[in-house]
Amino acid sequence: MSDIVPPEVRPKPAVPAKPPNVGAPSPSSPFPPQGPGIGGGASALPPSAIPVPIGSHVASHAVGHNVGHGAGHVGGLAAAHNGGHGHAGAHRSGGGSTLLGYIGIDTIIEQMRKKTMKAGFDFNIMVVGNSGLGKSTLVNTLFKSQVSRRSAGWARDEKIPKTIEIKAVSHVLEEGGVKMKLTVVDTPGFGDQINNDNCWEPISKYINEQYEKFLKEEVNITRKKRIPDTRVHCCIYFITPTGHSLRSLDIEFMKRLSHSVNIIPVIAKSDTMTIEERLEFKQRVRKELEMGGIEVYPQKEFDEDMEDKSDNDKIREAMPFAVVGSDKEYQVNGKRVLGRKTAWGIVEVENPNHCEFAQLRDFLIRYNMWCVAKRTPLTQLLHHSYFKYNRVTEASSLQSNMSGHRGRAALRAVNRFGGLSEKPIFSVASLADGSARRGTFM
Amino acid sequence: MSQADKMKQGQFTNPETPGYVGFANLPNQVHRKSVKKGFEFTLMVVGESGLGKSTLINSLFLTDLYPERVIPGAAEKIERTVQIEASTVEIEERGVKLRLTVVDTPGYGDAINSQDCFSTIISYIDDQFERYLHDESGLNRRHIVDNRVHCCFYFISPLGHGLKPLDVQFMKAIHNKVNVVPVIAKADTLTLRERERLKRRILDEIDEHGIKIYHLPDAESDEDEDFKEQTKILKASIPFAVVGSNQQIEAKGKKVRGRLYPWGVVEVENPEHNDFLKLRIMLITHMQDLQEVTQDLHYENFRSERLKRGGRLSSHGYILPLSPANGPEPEEMDKDMILQEKEAELRRMQEMITKMQAQMQKQGDGDGDGPNM
Repeated sequence: MSDIVPPEVRPKPAVPAKPPNVGAPSPSSPFPPQGPGIGGGASALPPSAIPVPIGSHVASHAVGHNVGHGAGHVGGLAAAHNGGHGHAGAHRSGGGSTLLGYIGIDTIIEQMRKKTMKAGFDFNIMVVGNSGLGKSTLVNTLFKSQVSRRSAGWARDEKIPKTIEIKAVSHVLEEGGVKMKLTVVDTPGFGDQINNDNCWEPISKYINEQYEKFLKEEVNITRKKRIPDTRVHCCIYFITPTGHSLRSLDIEFMKRLSHSVNIIPVIAKSDTMTIEERLEFKQRVRKELEMGGIEVYPQKEFDEDMEDKSDNDKIREAMPFAVVGSDKEYQVNGKRVLGRKTAWGIVEVENPNHCEFAQLRDFLIRYNMWCVAKRTPLTQLLHHSYFKYNRVTEASSLQSNMSGHRGRAALRAVNRFGGLSEKPIFSVASLADGSARRGTFM
Repeated sequence: MSQADKMKQGQFTNPETPGYVGFANLPNQVHRKSVKKGFEFTLMVVGESGLGKSTLINSLFLTDLYPERVIPGAAEKIERTVQIEASTVEIEERGVKLRLTVVDTPGYGDAINSQDCFSTIISYIDDQFERYLHDESGLNRRHIVDNRVHCCFYFISPLGHGLKPLDVQFMKAIHNKVNVVPVIAKADTLTLRERERLKRRILDEIDEHGIKIYHLPDAESDEDEDFKEQTKILKASIPFAVVGSNQQIEAKGKKVRGRLYPWGVVEVENPEHNDFLKLRIMLITHMQDLQEVTQDLHYENFRSERLKRGGRLSSHGYILPLSPANGPEPEEMDKDMILQEKEAELRRMQEMITKMQAQMQKQGDGDGDGPNM
């Protein structure tokens, strides 16, 4: 990141050097730090991370994009982070002309990085699935620390609760100078009763409450510099490895919640299945998700261009990831690896030939965490924009906002999906039951 | 004198010895007859889909009981209710014929709301008992077909931390009707320690909820040591943690039935890998006992309940079944009906008696020597 190479200077007719769109202050910068605004001299950017409404993607995501991109190459090229950034500005300048000299605009990346490191960020992950599917173990393995609720003092062999509870446990993890406040939201009791009707409702309610809370804070006239973000950024749904197909509960849950939260399905305890069984099962699951119209993360609507689409398609072909979790280490071929020891061999968690845990981890953490955190699902986004628009029109003193970028963006978003009407179209309840569909509002 | 001495020495084992009656040969006769007649056994398998029930049955009996199986997708499962599917297969081994019926229960535990999923199963078990009761009380008792469920394998998921609420409720509902044998399915998901922990947990929960599972009878004192030892080991391994497979894998130079993973091969018939062999031995050596317990305990329970409830005896001693569709009718109506029927019968019998008396009077008057009444 420190080697900033000035682009080649080419003589051109006198044309005022328009800065490439990348550096322009945009309604939502790709690296919104949770703390004070970016010190790049740009206009006051909102402290919170509001993803840009779908309409105005083009340029502003050019930089941020490559971060998401690197994720597409699950093989993990380190260059994706560093190299991709430095040159993003140069060859993604859609609409701008070449520079006459080196200005130093691309140093903004370094500045953003510093700010992000200082501010840290919040990542909230929810785990849903029947008891005993290894949710806590997997989360611990993902973050290589004891972060699940089990480690926070709950007994391992606790009785199944009679109703679904929502338990959130937070830890602050630090790596390479970057601080992350990781919150794991567990849902014990899901799917474990004899009668599981509507067992997704408490979960849906919780998710919407967090969004509401966040929105309220945002729209305040005097708002905090750093709004605590308790929104659920992603929900890992654990599929029981029956080897046949999805269960009715799986389909119902994902149908109802895929529009309000990013769902990442994983096949739990996949050391139950042989490789052929696993492939068959994954295919079956993908087909059933398609037939049920369920869109899991990465959703197709976030594919911005062909490159994005092809990267994401590769991921979609590999999902759901078949994982195995473990917090025990064994000696294999002279190395200490995380695994499960059985009488017929050791299942290695991080061995891609054994299971897809490494892929999940790379996908989720190393390349997509930011995207997952910032790409709010459609319904929440819509609700958010409309909510703000409503609030904004109420308070006359905030009228001026309407002329700014954010106001325009909000309007664009709402117009794209059916226009405005006198009374509010959405209420949290109607979103919660997943009835919102693109283009068919009202 | 010498012959008497020989007699006194009591050598009855020698057929030529006088005093030998020969009824020691009875067991052989029974054996021959039974072999000729063949054996019947009905096994029910219950468990959620995807626990490997069909694979296990196929592995146990080395046959393919489900040749044209279509596994429904999740969307179809939402609408499905529990069904009962019975498949019968005749297996013969060394001249001994076994007519094995496997009763499968697809749809169990699949719905989001599983409140009602075992009423179908319980009705089925009761229906078989009812039918047997009817046949037994009938006039022609020679060819009673025994379709009663002799044993129920209940499959427990290895993924949980013990029994689920559904498992407990179901087992409590059938433990008085059928021999319940809990089985931990897909045991290759578990490490050895996890397996032990799960077994202990399940046994604790079975105790806690008062569930009566099938207990292997202790070996008789006159059995040989090996058998006693075997029985002890079997008893200690309940519930059996099994793995099923009919695929032949090459392992350590020989072909074994197993499952091939990238990290190793699970051998189905290796006692260190899972309890499949133990389950098979238990089933085979105790098939007779399972049938006996079904007859002596569960069937008798059912019969006494049933007769108490109001099966009525007609004049032939024939048990007339209550209409099965209505299930348990209110007690008062039953009693009234019974009273009415009994009165009607009495009247009929009285009429018959008076008629016969009248006939005899006539004959008596006519001939002078009527039959003695």
